[in-house]
Amino acid sequence: MAEPILEVRGLVKHYPLTRGILFKKQVGAVKAVDGVDFTLARGETLGIVGESGCGKSTVARMLVNLERPTAGSITFKGEDISGLSGRALKAVRRNIQMVFQDPYTSLNPRMTVGDIIGEPYDIHPEVAPKGDRRARVRDLLDVVGLNPEYINRYPHQFSGGQRQRIGIARGLALRPEIIVADEPVSALDVSVQAQVINLLDRLQNEFELSYVFIAHDLSIVRHISDRVGVMYLGRIVETGRDAEIYDHPTHPYTQALLSAVPVPDPEARERRERIILAGDVPSPTSVPSGCRFRTRCWKAQERCALEVPELAVPAEFRLLPGPAAHDSACHFAEEKRVVPPEEGPRPVPPPGPTGPGTGEGPGTGDGLGTGDGLGTGDGPGTGNGPG
Amino acid sequence: MLLEVRDLHVEFRTRDGVAKAVNGVSYGVDAGETLAVLGESGSGKSVTAQAVMGILDTPPGRIAGGEILFQGQDLLKLKEEERRKVRGAGMAMIFQDALSSLNPVLSVGDQLGEMFVVHRGMSRKDARARAVELMDRVRIPGAKERVKQYPHQFSGGMRQRIMIAMALALEPALIIADEPTTALDVTVQAQVMDLLGELRREYDMGLILITHDLGVVADVADRIAVMYAGRIVEQAPVRDIYKAPAHPYTRGLLDSIPRLDQKGQELYAIRGLPPNLMDIPPGCAFNPRCPMARDVCRTDVPPLAEVAQDRASACHFWRECLHG
Repeated sequence: MAEPILEVRGLVKHYPLTRGILFKKQVGAVKAVDGVDFTLARGETLGIVGESGCGKSTVARMLVNLERPTAGSITFKGEDISGLSGRALKAVRRNIQMVFQDPYTSLNPRMTVGDIIGEPYDIHPEVAPKGDRRARVRDLLDVVGLNPEYINRYPHQFSGGQRQRIGIARGLALRPEIIVADEPVSALDVSVQAQVINLLDRLQNEFELSYVFIAHDLSIVRHISDRVGVMYLGRIVETGRDAEIYDHPTHPYTQALLSAVPVPDPEARERRERIILAGDVPSPTSVPSGCRFRTRCWKAQERCALEVPELAVPAEFRLLPGPAAHDSACHFAEEKRVVPPEEGPRPVPPPGPTGPGTGEGPGTGDGLGTGDGLGTGDGPGTGNGPG
Repeated sequence: MLLEVRDLHVEFRTRDGVAKAVNGVSYGVDAGETLAVLGESGSGKSVTAQAVMGILDTPPGRIAGGEILFQGQDLLKLKEEERRKVRGAGMAMIFQDALSSLNPVLSVGDQLGEMFVVHRGMSRKDARARAVELMDRVRIPGAKERVKQYPHQFSGGMRQRIMIAMALALEPALIIADEPTTALDVTVQAQVMDLLGELRREYDMGLILITHDLGVVADVADRIAVMYAGRIVEQAPVRDIYKAPAHPYTRGLLDSIPRLDQKGQELYAIRGLPPNLMDIPPGCAFNPRCPMARDVCRTDVPPLAEVAQDRASACHFWRECLHG
């Protein structure tokens, strides 16, 4: 692995539950994140998947210091940043930026696109001297595939996909080394999703970015990630390279999650084995003892209630090097392939003089840029305001 | 045919002009069949369903033409009062967001029971008993105790089950489910889709599943209608369409989703944006984004042509798309 740029150890976030008005007494805690470890290498994408309430967004917010961890450390290039404040914190924050899920609520409707993307420079003027900012914003618009002429428009004049590009441009403004993206495409239509994913891919190469990519869509996470961590109820239960997790999962929760994903292949309907989990995720205020997945697990035994399984390579795989030998927090880890390969390759995109983005590397940037706004013939300004 | 929509047109009057949301949609569903209506936001898939249900907001909406035949009867010719009887007893709808579709100040038992009180004239007590029965049927554990609870006391998946129970209450012949699992997590989505499929078989209902998710469609649908800018661009049995799409839009959608079974290269992305419904491009509405577009596509609206038995495509060059 390349040198680590970010190391997270024992990260915990508990929100206290109190009772009483004058004399507050803590009666419990919402254990949103309850001991998370991972390492992010330079230029790598780490995908974090999990269902709602598993704590993945809280992890993201702690990484960019929107939330303070209750315990644990976040080490950026060898320096623990979780306890920093003041000037030191500000300096570090420049390097870790976030792209939010909802492009409709994360952009201020009263600010022009130029002001939104340029606002980070007000906080970090050392990055761009005042006279230089407009030019920088124009460059950024161009980089994310928007027409630089749109600098004076307002967010409502753009479609969802274009707004997400604005959010990405703002994230890039300070030239960060790490981008934390929390569900960056889940609010977008299928045909626009692919455009934004390709953009994120291209930017990563162009600016040597490292990504923490958080999503609930397992196919998208596989597409973009080098390594994947699966979260359940505040903890990572399994982690490894993408093929290790998707083709050789050993944790029952990962297996259930993967088997539940609808695959766009009707032929796979009969061939697939579905693991349908019983019940709902327990409340993070009363986490089960031992293994937190045991209440829904079909393999659970007495040991699972008594002993917390450690996130490590399970003993039975330790001696056999292979794709099943990766970290999995289960006492009874067992390899099981649940994603059937689709029948053959998908059809090749239709040939055409302007087939966009079929592997010409950096050239696709331009293709996207013009296609996006001008393809409809009326530009985004009039085109797709959600009204 | 249980339901047949013929050449339906719906438009919305807005301050900025007339938005043509549905422009000549025809589809049909048989009893016991699942039809998936696939499309992105603004494709008109939900508006069509609302017109069928008779819950379109008019104004600003207006049905500008067409017929909706349900069990042989044109619903558009019925009076509102007669229409209301069809709704609930003949057909029912399940919405995406169960939390905002349920009344927060009534217990779920009261809301389920209301169906029987209003449509069947039952007493409150009998209605309550039927509510418990329904909750059992959609496999909500502890129905007897939970019937008194309020919507916020249920999880997202359980709330969607209550919506399904409500739709089933009067044993309708047709259920329209508008993105029923979009707000749910994958493991819960699987539970709910399974339940819906089981109940459909049990009651031999027709099901119209409105969705943007090609994975869900592949899992449950018999036939599929793909919508774009208020028109059906392709209609086919579900197996055929995934094997060989006959419309470049369908093909683009299929190619642009990442795969779960292998790490992909760069994704194929349909360029551009869906059109503005107040200003739909002349000719084929998809032509500005289509890699195969030629001159004729910019002038002539392609008819929905028969491609094979039970298959149709609205593309001038469907042969090329299908075989190329």
